[in-house]
Amino acid sequence: MKKIYFSLLLLTIPFTSFAATGATQLEGSFKVGPAVILITILVLFVLVGILFRAKDTTDFYAAGRGISKVGSGMAIASNWMSAASFLGMAALMYGSGYHGLAYVVGWTGGYVLLLILMAGQIRKYGKYTAADFIGDRYYSQTLRAVGAIIAILISISYCVGQFGGIGLMFKWVMGIDYAWAVIIGGAVVLAYTLISGMLGVTKNMQIQYVIIIVSFLIPLFILTFKFDYFWLLPQVGYGSVVSDAVAGIPLAESQQLVNSFGHDFAIVPTPEYAMPWDPATGKTFYQWIAIAFSLMIGTAGLPHVIQRFYVVPKARDARWSVVWGLFFICVLYWSAPAYAAFGKILSAHPEVGTLAKDAIVVYTAQLGNVHPLIVGFLAAGGVSAAFSTVSGLLVAGSSAFAHDLYVKVINPNAKPKNQLLAARLGTILMAMIVTVIALANLALIGQLVAVAFSLAGCTIFPLFLLGIWWSDSNKPGAIAGLVVGGIISAISLSYFVAGKYGVTLPMHDFVDYWLGAWYFAIIGAPLAIIAHIVVSKMTKQTPLEIRKFLIEKVHS
Amino acid sequence: MDNSNDEYHISFFKPTTPQAVANRNMVVWFVLIWFVAIFGFQILLRILEKPTPEPSFISFEKVWESVKSGSAGETELQEFGRATLSVLGKIMITPEERTTLDNALSWTVSQLTIDPLRAELAEKIRDFESIKASITDISDPGYIAKKVDLSSELSPKLGLSQNDVRSKILPLELSADLGVSLTEETKNTLPAIMKKYLVHNQSVLTDFKFLGFPFHYFYTAIFLLILFVGICWLYCVKTDSLNKRLNIVD
Repeated sequence: MKKIYFSLLLLTIPFTSFAATGATQLEGSFKVGPAVILITILVLFVLVGILFRAKDTTDFYAAGRGISKVGSGMAIASNWMSAASFLGMAALMYGSGYHGLAYVVGWTGGYVLLLILMAGQIRKYGKYTAADFIGDRYYSQTLRAVGAIIAILISISYCVGQFGGIGLMFKWVMGIDYAWAVIIGGAVVLAYTLISGMLGVTKNMQIQYVIIIVSFLIPLFILTFKFDYFWLLPQVGYGSVVSDAVAGIPLAESQQLVNSFGHDFAIVPTPEYAMPWDPATGKTFYQWIAIAFSLMIGTAGLPHVIQRFYVVPKARDARWSVVWGLFFICVLYWSAPAYAAFGKILSAHPEVGTLAKDAIVVYTAQLGNVHPLIVGFLAAGGVSAAFSTVSGLLVAGSSAFAHDLYVKVINPNAKPKNQLLAARLGTILMAMIVTVIALANLALIGQLVAVAFSLAGCTIFPLFLLGIWWSDSNKPGAIAGLVVGGIISAISLSYFVAGKYGVTLPMHDFVDYWLGAWYFAIIGAPLAIIAHIVVSKMTKQTPLEIRKFLIEKVHS
Repeated sequence: MDNSNDEYHISFFKPTTPQAVANRNMVVWFVLIWFVAIFGFQILLRILEKPTPEPSFISFEKVWESVKSGSAGETELQEFGRATLSVLGKIMITPEERTTLDNALSWTVSQLTIDPLRAELAEKIRDFESIKASITDISDPGYIAKKVDLSSELSPKLGLSQNDVRSKILPLELSADLGVSLTEETKNTLPAIMKKYLVHNQSVLTDFKFLGFPFHYFYTAIFLLILFVGICWLYCVKTDSLNKRLNIVD
């Protein structure tokens, strides 16, 4: 146990070591104003959660199916705009330039697939969870259980990045150790999810969306105004920031504008920031395409996203909620690259030191001399983004555990009270597992979240795509597809984890490149689909009642 | 097994009802637009791109052989020093690459200083390094004064004006120990480092400006997202009108 604790301490050393750089000064100690803002917002979330708390299982899983399409769109956006969107995307662009835009495109383009291939049909199918759909469509309790386990694994993988983001923001606000920040933040989000359930979560998500977007945009208006760019629409105004970074800003043109350390708003020419797959970033064309593709099909296979379509009254609402949801999401995604561009110039002086990329949004606001309370509000927005997603993920994971594993497989006669208890126990267990993994700080937030997308793309996406659109897709085909997708996922993740701990496996570089942990779905998903189709063609027909249901209920 | 010969059969590619046919056509068109807009453009970028060096890389290539062989004159050394500073100003470089570049820069500055003053310069740099290591706040007045002094003294040696961003970076990248000689490690690895950071994939799509953005950046970061929302909106409108026309109720 001591060894484990020592290892965890070692992992936090980069966050606790001290040196005289701008980076350490930006961290500082306990910040009263931001802490008050953060606590106020968290209390607000809990109060809303209590006010709209789940009364029964239908409420807990699907908010009573009484949410409007605009409301559901806001909830989709809030659910979606996680720490990976709020903090991680700017981090990826700050660190690897144009390569980071693959995440922007991947995390938005997937909604087109989700809408035109699935949203309405999923709602018409009328199930509570992704595993419910898989179990019914493929007439197999085993597949239902496997679907539930995959949903839990995806939720855990997705949550790890969020807990990392919560930890970073709690650390920044409270000036405490990263490990403690993750534990405290995790405990708060767990308490909130347990109190509220999905109904509270849905109401909260609408409030969270407003907080997230307002907190994200205000500093951007200030930065563009302060540094003399087109501030009325910073999402367009930052284009000149990108071009200035590429061409360089000589001291003579810095117009005596400075960052919070007094360094001029100047930079040597930095084309690598915007040029595609630049050698300086170490990223290639294949990786750009692979990440965008994997994230897009992963979007259409994520249980907590699919689950949002169960909470709207009609299939039409499910479709329109995607449009609204995507628009609300894009407001943030159009803005995030601006933080990276400003961050690049404001932190260009070597004295600023190495900044934790995942906190670059907050650091950029600090370096730009934005008022500390507004920066605090921004950090609180980051926490809100992580909270809204984590709560949705924990509900999706616990639903899979209680509804699909406990009730449908283990104890079909369970009373609703016991079912709710199982859901809550599942939530606690998941939160504990996520906390332990998050403490290991394995990669950037955006990259950790991308793992969940590839996993979903290799496993759940083929099951939904073929299950909805091809009545000959059957149980043996589904099993074959899952096996292939599962094997590809296992290979990729094994090489990733081995690499993290210094173990070199056979053909390590080859596998690491072509089946990278953030984008293995580009290989895994097509193979899983092919295996699914081939085996379905060779085996017994799908039962009549399922084909009938597809025609009469889903496609009528 | 052929499972398609009965009335309860659904296949996206073989629709059997007017609604399914219309929906199939719509989905195919939208997916095609979506796919070409995303991947087609990136492929076009890839086809059109050409490795384009920054001016600093051209300077570096011009003087590198003479610098390596120890026959470089003052102007060549100045060009070499400025080129290394151009890379040191980029925040992406790794600690190992920084050490190599610092060695090249420190050695160059040392070479540009006349022999009797080299020891004095090394002492000044060492003094600055120790202050840098001891301060807890980078706005420390003593530290700033030393930094400005060093920059003012050494920038002219490299032919840098006080308006050049690199003059501000210069004192921070010097090391007394690394200035003694150009190491074999540096001679072997420096060209690759310079090429990595100073040559970029550029084309007409990256050089053309639109609303202040490099065009390709605007297209990917802004336009594609607008297109996605547009496709979704159009799909919903078309589906609603199709359902109305065919009297389909959810």
